[in-house]
Amino acid sequence: MITLKGFFERARDGCLTGIKCGGCGEIAIPPKEFCASCGTRAWQAVQLSGDGTLASYTVIRVAPARHAADAPYAVGVVRLKEGASIFGRIVDIPFEKLSVGLPLRFRPIVVNEQTSVAFSEGD
Amino acid sequence: MRRVAVIGVGVTKFGKHERTSGELFAQAAVDALADAELPPRAVQALYYGNVVGGETEHQLHTGPQAASILGIPTVPTTRFEAACASSHAAFRHAVMEIASGVSDVVLVGGGERVLNVSTADATEYFAYASDASWEQPLGLTFPGVFALVARAHMAKHGTTEAQMAAVAVKNHRHGALNPKAQFQKEITLETVLTSAYIADPLKLYDCCPFTDGGAAIVLAAEEVARTRPRAVWVLGTAAASDSMLLGDKKDLSRVMATERAAKAAYEQAGKSPADVDVVELHDCFTIAEIVATEGLGLFEPGAGGVAAERGWTSLGGRIPVNPSGGLKAKGHPIGATGAAQIAEVVTQIRGEAGPRQVGGARTGLTHTLGGNTATVLVSLFGRD
Repeated sequence: MITLKGFFERARDGCLTGIKCGGCGEIAIPPKEFCASCGTRAWQAVQLSGDGTLASYTVIRVAPARHAADAPYAVGVVRLKEGASIFGRIVDIPFEKLSVGLPLRFRPIVVNEQTSVAFSEGD
Repeated sequence: MRRVAVIGVGVTKFGKHERTSGELFAQAAVDALADAELPPRAVQALYYGNVVGGETEHQLHTGPQAASILGIPTVPTTRFEAACASSHAAFRHAVMEIASGVSDVVLVGGGERVLNVSTADATEYFAYASDASWEQPLGLTFPGVFALVARAHMAKHGTTEAQMAAVAVKNHRHGALNPKAQFQKEITLETVLTSAYIADPLKLYDCCPFTDGGAAIVLAAEEVARTRPRAVWVLGTAAASDSMLLGDKKDLSRVMATERAAKAAYEQAGKSPADVDVVELHDCFTIAEIVATEGLGLFEPGAGGVAAERGWTSLGGRIPVNPSGGLKAKGHPIGATGAAQIAEVVTQIRGEAGPRQVGGARTGLTHTLGGNTATVLVSLFGRD
């Protein structure tokens, strides 16, 4: 089972890790015990390509206190090629170029000394 | 199961207060008990909504604190935390407690104080209701969550920023008729559309304010309520949830928990959307109202923006939504909001809403959403 700590340690090395349900094949983001789709508890870790498309996005201009120095910054939900979706920062792309469906690729970033999920332009 | 009725309601003025959340709730509860014509000793339990008391007031254990300030320190009491749906969750618990025969009279309500901290701090505390491993570390905010919903709804249905702005204009027009509202001032479409972006495409006037306030309602079993001509029956109350992570939600343009809770509440009540005369729903952001009107079955999926633009949800329209001014203009003291919405719908069904009265309102619905769309409660109310 992939723990949160395990996920972010792999993410720091550039590797996006998912879990695949042995019952129905659903790809999910860890940690999860039972599969929400079929109720099976038989996950296997799978390495995800990190490629996906932007499902929705926003530019946050009024930030929480801990992130005030970063604002404005873009965040979004990315639908990964393998099927699961994941929330992340969108970096190195001008805000006006963002659009639903834009191809993106995973890259780790460090925010407040913590490894976090981000995406930059993909193919 | 016994029938349950609302026999008393009380709401403080919403806005900035010098009093604590416990004091604000207690003030509303005094009014609710007077409205119910019951002494405090008649209350057998208190279920209480409060969300960020730990952060803004360094106060946990707010159930007994609220009960103590009110002067009923020995009743069983629990604080409910379901983000912005907290006091609606407390309400559902109280209804089940009375319906099952455990208690005959239960007080429900909430209190919240946030205007004693900065906007940046309040924004951070509210974001604690999103995921602490995946979302908070990236700086997600609540306007951010609903901006993602808005962008997905715009991409799928062609919803426009002007349609969202129409919701704000309508709710401010309603709020101007409500003496308890935080904002009692009409605004124009241009004011909304030219306000600063908070989280694109949501602008300042697409967002509800931070608010201090309290609300309370007295619930009673049929045996107590039967002799009271102003009692309003609880016809159904349902809760539903959805995945916590934004990435795990199947379609960001819909709030699945609203759709599930609405279906269950309509079934309990034996009602359909066409039976509803008045709605108080969770317009924390203008897009949230549009998506909720669709999820509650008032309009077809994708038609919520058009409905707002054409005035179908205004007082005097096809189905008046948020005659109180909604969270947008009345204000949103998050722990108290669910109870305040119920108080408004009960007032409407009693025919006591004054200049904002929905003519002939017999059946009403309240909808309260918690956090990142992961919690929703829907309840239906009516007269015999």
